[in-house]
Amino acid sequence: MSYKIPMGPYHPGLEEPYKLDMICEGETVQDAKLRIGFNFRGIEHLAETRNYIQVIALMERVCGICSNIHTLTLCQAMEGLTGLTPPPRAKYIRVIMAELERLHSHVLWAGIAAKLMGFKTMFMTCFELREKVMDVLQAISGNRVNYSMNRIGGVNRDITDPPAILALVEALEAEMARTVIPIFTTSSTARSRCAGIGVLTMERAISCGVVGPVARASGLPQDIRRAAPYAAYEEMEFDVPVQPDGDLRARLLVRALEIMESCKILRQALAKLPPGEIHMEGEKFPFITGTATSRVEAPRGEVMYSVSWKEGSRNPARVHVRTPTFAVMPAIRWMVQGARLADTPLIQASIDPCYSCTDR
Amino acid sequence: MSPLDSISEKLGITEPWVEKGGVHWLTPGAKSVREVAQAMNEFHARFITITAYQLPGDQGFRLEYHWDLNGQLLGFSFQLAGNSIESIYDLCEATDWIEREIHEGFVIDFVGREYEPLLLRQGDTPGVNLREEKK
Repeated sequence: MSYKIPMGPYHPGLEEPYKLDMICEGETVQDAKLRIGFNFRGIEHLAETRNYIQVIALMERVCGICSNIHTLTLCQAMEGLTGLTPPPRAKYIRVIMAELERLHSHVLWAGIAAKLMGFKTMFMTCFELREKVMDVLQAISGNRVNYSMNRIGGVNRDITDPPAILALVEALEAEMARTVIPIFTTSSTARSRCAGIGVLTMERAISCGVVGPVARASGLPQDIRRAAPYAAYEEMEFDVPVQPDGDLRARLLVRALEIMESCKILRQALAKLPPGEIHMEGEKFPFITGTATSRVEAPRGEVMYSVSWKEGSRNPARVHVRTPTFAVMPAIRWMVQGARLADTPLIQASIDPCYSCTDR
Repeated sequence: MSPLDSISEKLGITEPWVEKGGVHWLTPGAKSVREVAQAMNEFHARFITITAYQLPGDQGFRLEYHWDLNGQLLGFSFQLAGNSIESIYDLCEATDWIEREIHEGFVIDFVGREYEPLLLRQGDTPGVNLREEKK
């Protein structure tokens, strides 16, 4: 006999509110349906009522983890409408902030995944490391969550002492290489809870249009930093980790390897930080009528902004945001099919879902 | 022949691609969104999203469909005289949620598909989120 198990919208196994209605046969999940929208905020509509300065602060609130990525993508789109090109130093600082944010996001995710595996020591280790990443972000921006770094034509704050930041990054890298990476890549706890579970095949990943680490863990080598470089990524050397298995362990490995790649990018960017201005001069910007689109590789995958403007207007006519979780979340249905009910919290967490982004 | 030219040839469109605002645009002309989606599938392009715009007065809506082809962002714009357009959900599974969201936000009907209950604000009225009421 089959029966329905509702999980959420408020449930200890979920980080934020959404609902997973699972049809089960015994302990095995046969199918699942997802419901979102419990915290829908109408930010896209609200953006149409904000001017070109206010809208940056607003879109920074789309996500609490990758707040910087949202302003970066928005500013790049607005730069497309104003014809402004940020100075080289600003592009490097954008890369540094984006990679620190990726480290922060991946370590936070690793902590949550460890907690769901029942690996509480690892959870504490990851959250301690996350605090250290936030210390670096604070040292640069003065803020720990919403950094207010991006502006049209550049960034708001300079990195005045790159060697000091580099020393912090190197200490972080050493700590991660000593703790998080080996445990997640070799420990029997992580392997037994993750190997062969929550599989998303490459065919299904293509069909669902998934992005980011979830796509790369299903064998798809897609990364906007590589495919369509922005900011200063063209000048960075890094690998795009790809795993073929499509299971929880593959997602774990991809993120663990990406942590090390982010550290590699950070070392390069801090070492090569070019001199010069950090933003274009001026407070008023000559917006042209039209639509500009920008894409960025956020920690969870590709973010895309379409920004539409009418010449002479202070406010955007339309801001559309396609967040990575919105693209990845429908695939949870296929990941949980055939899984044990007890594994579903970890399976849904394996996509690193952000409901804040989804309910923008 | 470049991949973009191959797509034009496949669709039988003679107009050139235009790069604007970070997107390679191709005017679909008389081609339907389903024909475009089929061509995108043949070229293994990755669907990204649909952006809906409500046009002034009674001009209806404009839907911009975006695909990625090897890092190039492709765009196809469709103007809707009324409130409906063919769904491509059966051709492209990735469009499911965005078609539902646009249906709920703008009351645009994607013909040929069924809708599950509201994705956003269950129990609410479609169109309440984004569509402007005409006076």
